[in-house]
Amino acid sequence: MEETLVINVLGLSIGVNTLLSLVATVLLVWVFCMVSTKSMSVDKPGKAQLMLEWVYDFVRGLVGGAITDSKVQMYNLLGMTLLLFVFIANMVGLGFILTIKDYSIWKSPTGDPIVCLALALIMIILSHYLGVDKLGFKQYIKSSYMQPVSFMLPINIIEEFTNTLTLALRLYGNIFAGEVLLGLIASLGGSFFPVTWVIGIPLQMVWQGFSLFIGSIQAYIFVTLTMVYMSHKVETEH
Amino acid sequence: MDALAAAIAVSIAALGASIGNGMVISKTIESIARQPELEGKLRMTMFLGVGLIEAVPIMAVVIAFILVFR
Repeated sequence: MEETLVINVLGLSIGVNTLLSLVATVLLVWVFCMVSTKSMSVDKPGKAQLMLEWVYDFVRGLVGGAITDSKVQMYNLLGMTLLLFVFIANMVGLGFILTIKDYSIWKSPTGDPIVCLALALIMIILSHYLGVDKLGFKQYIKSSYMQPVSFMLPINIIEEFTNTLTLALRLYGNIFAGEVLLGLIASLGGSFFPVTWVIGIPLQMVWQGFSLFIGSIQAYIFVTLTMVYMSHKVETEH
Repeated sequence: MDALAAAIAVSIAALGASIGNGMVISKTIESIARQPELEGKLRMTMFLGVGLIEAVPIMAVVIAFILVFR
């Protein structure tokens, strides 16, 4: 639990470490996509283009399992953006964690509960908006709140809040716990040079590998659950 | 007392997560043995299940961290 520099913008306080790593994540995703699509070709694709195509194919499999709609391209694009963003956001905190004079200035953006809650809230509100857009207001109320019997209304309302909270806190908890342990192993390894370096460095490498695995699993789960929640709002049972 | 509370929280969280994960993964291994051609799909579903199960014990771990480090 470190202190961080806080800047106040219009009465809202923003932590500098999250701001820096968020901007870096967005820039990384943008640079990756620009580089992969620089000179695309059908019969002689470069490696970056192949990687981007693989990601798109993976997202298409994810989304197709949840949403059977004619306008599935919109969900494909959303899923791919979300997957790239969450995956790279989980990765940036693994390479290094910077602390200057007791103030932290770099950590994973998804290790901040505010960022995770914002992501989850955006996805849930988007699913409501898409439901109203596709089905009309009356049908939307009927098919997502009055199902299967109309006195299930309080349970369905509570389910909305639970979905948002667990979607956000699952991502936050996994990444935050990983980072705390990274810091703990680093302080163990640095406490008595050179003896603890022998234990500390391999242990840190093992934990970074495991955190890489967990970060990718959590990105996959976030996108899959978002698509499942959207399909609940958009599709009705006839 | 905070350290004791954190220790109890983390130990029960670890117990819950491991028992839950063990059930899911053992069922997946059994299913792969029954139908080896579905291995890819079963593996992806297993990872989805493991991530969902580990969500709540991880929240308990975060609460334990808050207790210890503040």
